[in-house]
Amino acid sequence: MPDDAIGLPEVGAGGSHIGPVLLSARNLRKFFPIRGGLLSSHIGDVRAVDGVSFSIHEGETVGLVGESGCGKTTVGRLLLRLIEPTSGHTFYHAPPEVIDRVERAYGEIGPYASKEDGESNKWSPSAQAALKELDEIADQYSIYRKNHRAMKSLRGKLQIVFQDPFSSLEPRMMVREVIAEPLEIQKVGTHNERMARVQELLGEVGLSPEHAYRFPHEFSGGQRQRICIARALALRPEFIVLDEPTSALDVSVQAQVLNILETLQREHQLSYLFISHHLSVIRAVSDRVVVMYLGRVVEHTVTDELFSRPLHPYTQALLSAIPIPDPFLHRERIILSGDVPSPAYPPSGCHFHTRCPAVMPVCSRVDPPLAEVRPGHWVACHLYPPPSTSPASGGAEAPTSEGMALSTSVEGEPLSATPSTPLTTSTSTP
Amino acid sequence: MSGSVAAPRPATSFEEARPAATTVVVSGATAPTEAAPVVLDVRNLTTYFYTYDGVVRALEGVSFKLRRGETLGLVGETGCGKSVTMFSITRLVPDPPGRVVSGKVLYRGADLLWGLDLEARFVPAKKGNRVKVKRSFRRVKAAQARVGSVRGGGIALIFQEPTQAMNPIFSVSDQVSEVILEHKGVELVDGVLAATPDGPAVQPAIEKLARAVEAGDDAQVRGAAKELGDAVNLPTFGTQAYYLARQARSSGSATVARDLRKATSRLRLTGTQRRFLRSERELMMIAREQRAVFVSEMRHGQLERAHHAALAGRRFRARVRGFPYRIPIVRRRASRPIREEAAWKSVHALEGVQIADPVQVSRGFPHELSGGMLQRVMIAMALACEPEILMADEPTTALDVTIQAQILELMKEMRHRIGTGILLVTHDLAVVAEVADRVAVMYAGQIVEIANVRDLYGHPLHPYTQGLLASIPRLDQPSKTLTTIPGSVPNLIFPPSGCRFHPRCPYAMPICKESRPPNTLEGEGHQVACFLYHGPPTME
Repeated sequence: MPDDAIGLPEVGAGGSHIGPVLLSARNLRKFFPIRGGLLSSHIGDVRAVDGVSFSIHEGETVGLVGESGCGKTTVGRLLLRLIEPTSGHTFYHAPPEVIDRVERAYGEIGPYASKEDGESNKWSPSAQAALKELDEIADQYSIYRKNHRAMKSLRGKLQIVFQDPFSSLEPRMMVREVIAEPLEIQKVGTHNERMARVQELLGEVGLSPEHAYRFPHEFSGGQRQRICIARALALRPEFIVLDEPTSALDVSVQAQVLNILETLQREHQLSYLFISHHLSVIRAVSDRVVVMYLGRVVEHTVTDELFSRPLHPYTQALLSAIPIPDPFLHRERIILSGDVPSPAYPPSGCHFHTRCPAVMPVCSRVDPPLAEVRPGHWVACHLYPPPSTSPASGGAEAPTSEGMALSTSVEGEPLSATPSTPLTTSTSTP
Repeated sequence: MSGSVAAPRPATSFEEARPAATTVVVSGATAPTEAAPVVLDVRNLTTYFYTYDGVVRALEGVSFKLRRGETLGLVGETGCGKSVTMFSITRLVPDPPGRVVSGKVLYRGADLLWGLDLEARFVPAKKGNRVKVKRSFRRVKAAQARVGSVRGGGIALIFQEPTQAMNPIFSVSDQVSEVILEHKGVELVDGVLAATPDGPAVQPAIEKLARAVEAGDDAQVRGAAKELGDAVNLPTFGTQAYYLARQARSSGSATVARDLRKATSRLRLTGTQRRFLRSERELMMIAREQRAVFVSEMRHGQLERAHHAALAGRRFRARVRGFPYRIPIVRRRASRPIREEAAWKSVHALEGVQIADPVQVSRGFPHELSGGMLQRVMIAMALACEPEILMADEPTTALDVTIQAQILELMKEMRHRIGTGILLVTHDLAVVAEVADRVAVMYAGQIVEIANVRDLYGHPLHPYTQGLLASIPRLDQPSKTLTTIPGSVPNLIFPPSGCRFHPRCPYAMPICKESRPPNTLEGEGHQVACFLYHGPPTME
């Protein structure tokens, strides 16, 4: 599991502004049941999120990237406990030594053991003890074990901005009511204090005071998204999930919104989980990036590392598929064939093997674990055996290809030109 | 195209492990061939929407040219009139409230806005900005019939939301077939009539295919199936035979030859079927000739009443002769060959857009397919009749990047193969940079700059283009703070005076408020509408 060394300041991109760990998700799983057949019995699961672990530090932006249907949004909702996970925990403000104990406990019992497994007698005493310890830690730190009252006060610290600013604002409420609603629910201040706070928030997101007395339909998309941001900020949160906050906006407006988010983060030491399918935006805003495919994390590292040295074939394909607004660039593009498989019937072994250009026989059988193949760079792929297991033959294993038409690159070099190389270095003139 | 110039880097063990992959060299656009004929010439297109709040001036004097085999990107922000331009060209603007007010759209010399001035009268209302529109619906209908003769066959359209552009109650095969029957019906009937299921080469070809199936080599099966198609003189039968053979192989059936003979026998036409096909062909011919008359009318600006009368007479006689085939049960049996042929043609069209299992997909319904798949079906439908112009409205906006890459690659390839001129309407400047030859930038209903893709991205002239390009987050140039354009898009009921960009422009001068800047040429084919530049005016 990715330990918390990844996001520490010496590895982190921005450095100085990043604080201790705020939230750490461990082995999160969310299965949505499929019902059908006789008596609506349970006939399967949509494995929306299948074992996701990562941490978010104070003042840090973590980018979460993936195609539609890969479980990005579900992860965002799980972190806020808008939905309950099938298994796994999210620890809030857990000290590093506690996280270490959690790691050890999971190492003992495996990632997906449940309480019922521990009560049966087939488990070794050490595993049972580890499960018990995990249970105790979870009671103290996991947000999924908080009772209703504790959760309500926690909601003020964990906020969200949704994708579509047109459907996430109540059309019958004035902007001041929209922004003051969280304050009213949490019973913060008197009415006058709340209105003063609304004015302050409007200023922070770049709207003028008279906008408080208008209705949402009077605003453009970019302005509505600012209202949503103001509402999320009302309770002075520590952490905001930004669920594709700019994908409904035009580029010039998108730039305005992204700049506001950047400024607010610096002023309030906010942490963001920035969910997007748009890798250029992710590169512009985030410190670390988590790449998801079909409910699993396939790659996880700091932003510059990911974009200059993507390791997982999926990340490489994703990066090369992004159009770049520069007609002078010539680069090689990896075109993946086919669609994302259904998460209800995920492929065996590595979920990506059906579309992978570098598929090996082992890929369809064994599910590759997320392993640290370089310092602070975690990849789940059989191409990169972790240095500890086979340090000498790292990468010497020649991948065989099955059923794919392969071509070597123009220069005849064995495609060591990862998509990043042309991006950064080759601007050939016409 | 030169390949990518990769800078030498120290190879690490990870790079050695990089596998070979299916890669495509993404080049910038090819230089547009100036010699290619202009297929679409849009001049001074002006479209207004007459709403209760006032007249929305959605398009104001839009002019551009599209050449054969060229891709023109039309970019701009939401509400700048990109889609309205596309709809105005094909006269699909919802009317009311919208109307194309003036302009010319020349498609190979035929004015698609034919009869525009006769269609409606504008009566100024008493209150300021309002206008009353009195339409002559007879003339609107006549004009729609004429433009309709170009839609689909000459100008194909791809819409943004593939899920909403397809009919949910018909199978994919039915919907693609409909397009093929409408535009390529005569050729299809000719093909069916000319098939020779009892030709001398047929039996040997069947034997050969059966042997190929036993050998189990896919390329060999495909080759033998194609030979069989040639032997029966019906290329789509080759496709059909290939999928029959593949199915037989996967199910381990040893009766390939028998299945194939059975399929061949279905190509033998009964007398009724033959007579039905001839009668159907006559009707299709008449429809085609009528389209030609419509186009000629739009070209010369004059009604050709004598032609219409002659066609009406022929149509009446053809219908009387074909009366027995209007009876449903007769029609159902008689039309089987034509329906089957169209279905296999649509399988062929789906193969062309690289759908992995076209038979399965064509039998499916739109809700069973993913967005990327449906968009490919839409492209297959658009390209099935080999149009001269393809207008795509945000074809990849609803799709994921990996699927988007597939679709863009496909469109590029189609352009090279068929020579279609593409009008790509999008807000994504990156997509345009990769696919387009020339780019037109729109702002608030006007084109502010048109240039070759390299000129536009290398030396953007208009302040709006400059701002737009600076505000895109770049994958290759990371920076934390993005440049923005202050303000937002203006209200088009009360557009800013003079240059519509002046309230947001960093270089605004007094003259910008007063008059609209003329289109001037700055260098080879680089047209810009801004007072900062003093090149020679364009010839319009």
